[in-house]
Amino acid sequence: MKRIVPWIIFIVFAGWALSRMAPKKPGSAFDIAGFGKLPVLAGGRVKPMDTLARVSLLQMNHHGIDGTANNLSSAQVASQAEWLLDVLMLPEHADSTKIFEITDPNILDLFGWQKAANYSFNDLQPFFAKIEEQAGLAAQTEADARNAFQRNIVRLRDVLRFYVQLKNTIQPQDSPDFGKEVQVFQQSIQPGLDAVRNRDAGQPYDDQAFQRIILFTHRYQSWTQAKYAYAIPNPKGKTETDRWSPVSEALLNALSTGQIADSVTFYGRMVSAYRNGDATGFNQALNDYQQYLHKNFSEELNRPTLEYFFNAAQPFYQSLVLYLVVFALAIISWLAWPKTLSRAALLLLGFAFLVHTAGLIIRMYIQGRPPVTNLYSSAIFVGWATVLFCLILERFYKNGIGGVCGSVIGFTTLLIAQNLQFDGDTMEMLRAVLDTNAWLATHVVGEVLGYSAVFLAGLIGIIYIFRGVFTTSFEESTSKTMARMIYGVVCFATLLSLVATVLGGIWADQSWGRFWGWDPKENGALLVVLWNAIILHARWGGFARERGVAVLAVFGNVIGSLSWFGVNMLGVGLHSYGFMDQAFASTLAIFVASQLVIIGIGLLPLKYWRGIRARERRTPQAGGVPAHALPQ
Amino acid sequence: MTGSSVARFFKPVASLRLTIICLACAMFLVFVGTLDQVQIGVYEAQLRYFKSFFLYFNLPGSNFRIPYFPGGYTLGGVLLINLIAAHVSRFKLTWKKAGILILHSGLILLLIGQIVTSLFEEESQIQLDQGQTKNYSESPYFDELAIVDQSKPDSDEVISVPAGRLVKGQTISLPVAGLQLQVDESFENAALINPNQLPSPTYPHLRLGPMAVAVAIPKTYKQDERNQPAAAVTLLKEGQSVGSWALASGFPQPVQFKVGADPYQIVLRPKRYYRPFSITLEDFRHDRYAGTEIAKNFSSKVRLVDPSAHENREALIYMNHPLWYSDLILYQAGFGNNDKTTVLQVMKNPSRLVPYIACGMMALGLLIQFGMHLVSFVRKRVIA
Repeated sequence: MKRIVPWIIFIVFAGWALSRMAPKKPGSAFDIAGFGKLPVLAGGRVKPMDTLARVSLLQMNHHGIDGTANNLSSAQVASQAEWLLDVLMLPEHADSTKIFEITDPNILDLFGWQKAANYSFNDLQPFFAKIEEQAGLAAQTEADARNAFQRNIVRLRDVLRFYVQLKNTIQPQDSPDFGKEVQVFQQSIQPGLDAVRNRDAGQPYDDQAFQRIILFTHRYQSWTQAKYAYAIPNPKGKTETDRWSPVSEALLNALSTGQIADSVTFYGRMVSAYRNGDATGFNQALNDYQQYLHKNFSEELNRPTLEYFFNAAQPFYQSLVLYLVVFALAIISWLAWPKTLSRAALLLLGFAFLVHTAGLIIRMYIQGRPPVTNLYSSAIFVGWATVLFCLILERFYKNGIGGVCGSVIGFTTLLIAQNLQFDGDTMEMLRAVLDTNAWLATHVVGEVLGYSAVFLAGLIGIIYIFRGVFTTSFEESTSKTMARMIYGVVCFATLLSLVATVLGGIWADQSWGRFWGWDPKENGALLVVLWNAIILHARWGGFARERGVAVLAVFGNVIGSLSWFGVNMLGVGLHSYGFMDQAFASTLAIFVASQLVIIGIGLLPLKYWRGIRARERRTPQAGGVPAHALPQ
Repeated sequence: MTGSSVARFFKPVASLRLTIICLACAMFLVFVGTLDQVQIGVYEAQLRYFKSFFLYFNLPGSNFRIPYFPGGYTLGGVLLINLIAAHVSRFKLTWKKAGILILHSGLILLLIGQIVTSLFEEESQIQLDQGQTKNYSESPYFDELAIVDQSKPDSDEVISVPAGRLVKGQTISLPVAGLQLQVDESFENAALINPNQLPSPTYPHLRLGPMAVAVAIPKTYKQDERNQPAAAVTLLKEGQSVGSWALASGFPQPVQFKVGADPYQIVLRPKRYYRPFSITLEDFRHDRYAGTEIAKNFSSKVRLVDPSAHENREALIYMNHPLWYSDLILYQAGFGNNDKTTVLQVMKNPSRLVPYIACGMMALGLLIQFGMHLVSFVRKRVIA
């Protein structure tokens, strides 16, 4: 019976996580899921409409569609894809959805509003001139020098412009019935072209047909300005740029081919049906389009479709929750049922790691890149690698420390990743200098693995200090084991960070012409290497023993966090693709301060360490504990 | 000396304590230097913190400099000596030490290589418009005052004075008999403006022409800007004035004049490095990802002509794919002018391959060292 309990706990939580990963059934009669899987080219890559919806909403606010703000019950809240469908096909409805998050008190004052909340496009409409004026003024200040109000007002203007672009993705936003419009255009092409030809040749021509084709041409030409997303695939295109075009360009192309692209017609049918509330018609048109895509575009459908399920499953979010559960189980196991709960925690940690791994692999496949391509993915990968290290440690030491560390770092790094999604696509295209998988896979991955090991050593150091100072269960064997774990992990950290830094130098030599340029990011990596070297040499020289190494390892957390995030906030140097907002500076400062406090605790004289005092009481000798048994 | 007396001699220099102190100082230096890059830029911080022997504190209101912390050269040098001494005094050729030995030899090689690099490295740029040909590259940081003797029929002779030597009130003897250069005014960085933009007619300025004057502005440390000095000079021949000119490197237009009957030119311009070959930009491409402004690739198709080596060929330079020619390497560094101008970085670094070898050794050393640890650890665990 005792052996089954951990498995039961495991199955309950694992099953719960799995059940949350299936795509939700939308309540709508329209085939929202089918629409969500449709491919579209935006931001340089082909993604499903579902991703376009999520990424777009992230630019506007932090929480997707807020039910309370829009007076909807939770069941009525639209999914992201449903919202996008509205924006693309029924913009007058989307305009009243409250999605634009405004929290800056100065901007609220500008509009005479009080409440920081989400507002709709219609709410903001009366203030467009004001926004343009203020943003225009703010934009005259250099981007780095802008204050919070200036940054936010420029951002609001850009987001509104982006929203208008989005509304014009499938149809001109003012089209009353786009399906009909496409039909009329198709019928006007031939007569119109004849009229133009005759007019040019000085022969009699049909003036009405002539005027009509000129009108259409002007309409679509001015529409080409709005082209954030390219919705129309061109099966005959050779290069990536030829293979996709905005609807406007596809329509203009029809002037030379005489035939409107099929995809435009399908979208026209969908728009008309959607606007009429005709779910059957919409689903039929969507279905026809899907079959057309399968016939002509099948090899490019795999990734967007997989990405749709990836979005729905949110594997990183699920593993984040699971790591939290593991941590809770581990904590409870210290108070009650230690064996059962710690076993369940470990099983669940393994499962969370599997989910995490699956997410990572799918991400790599969708993007066609090594795991780390930006700050967001570096956080995901640091978490993954640390949990892996922890599972290996746990395999050897079987003392539960690996499990606790894995859950803590797994949870923290995934939480960081959630906050690093910023305002956009986490699988964005890579700038020219980064466009090399070989270096991304070696230098960048190595660097990030180095961070993982540094943070792991630091966390074990923290556990060492806390157990020594605050608990009485600080046996000699425990402290020795932990010290050995820290040492082993620091060795790994040194190896990985040194090799990766050096590889980075070689990459820099290949692409910028110098091995080492004292760029902030390079300096950050160097600091990590130097600090690890100091720990190892201090240990070898006998300057730091158990406690010393633990304290030094905690300071590694400070160095690691500064190198990972701190240098990105300086805004200097060539590694500009890793830059981040200074808004994180306060979080970073709090983290650094907390580590310094822990170091201070670790440096308390040993007579204040409860663990050491308890140990002394257990071995009452004339001279107290033999000197060699004391951690120094 | 016997072995033990060698060891005694080296002991203080070879101590591990010194290693740790040096490493800690290096961390402090890197940390402070990196922070200061926000104020003074990457290049200036390099000179002050990393490529220097000491950090100095300037006494306000004087030229007195007090050194207060070792700079990169000092720390690197001490570490190097410490490392070598440690190996000499504790050298033991055993398998157990093989990893450590290889690792540290790699480190020694890396440090020496970086010292050689910082002494002999030469960095310059070629900026080319579509179709343009150049046989020289220019320094991105330094300027020169060039006096060009055009009297010879087939080649020009150039006398170059580094802009840093143009100090107001100085007279510089030129390496041509009897010629001297007198510096009447000098601005480290200058802006070119229209004369009627001057705050007042008496505001200190250098008149470059009817439409432009140069006024002094503070030195810039921004990454995307360079300092453009301006100077007023008088050329003297045997103490007699040949002519006086106001020159600005922001407007590097040569001025013609004569010494006796010989035609000359004078110009203040970015420092030039002449090459035995020429480069022509045939085509510059800047590809973006479909529907975005994100750069996917920059590439320059150039023609390389070197009459002395009988070379005349095309080459494609793009990100992560430089052109190697003679002892130079040309990289795609930038672009401008609506994608019609390319900027190629030209590097000359005699010790360029050293880091590659050093790094290989360090990685190998670490792998051997920690590999042995790991194997013995796993073996112990398995037995236990």
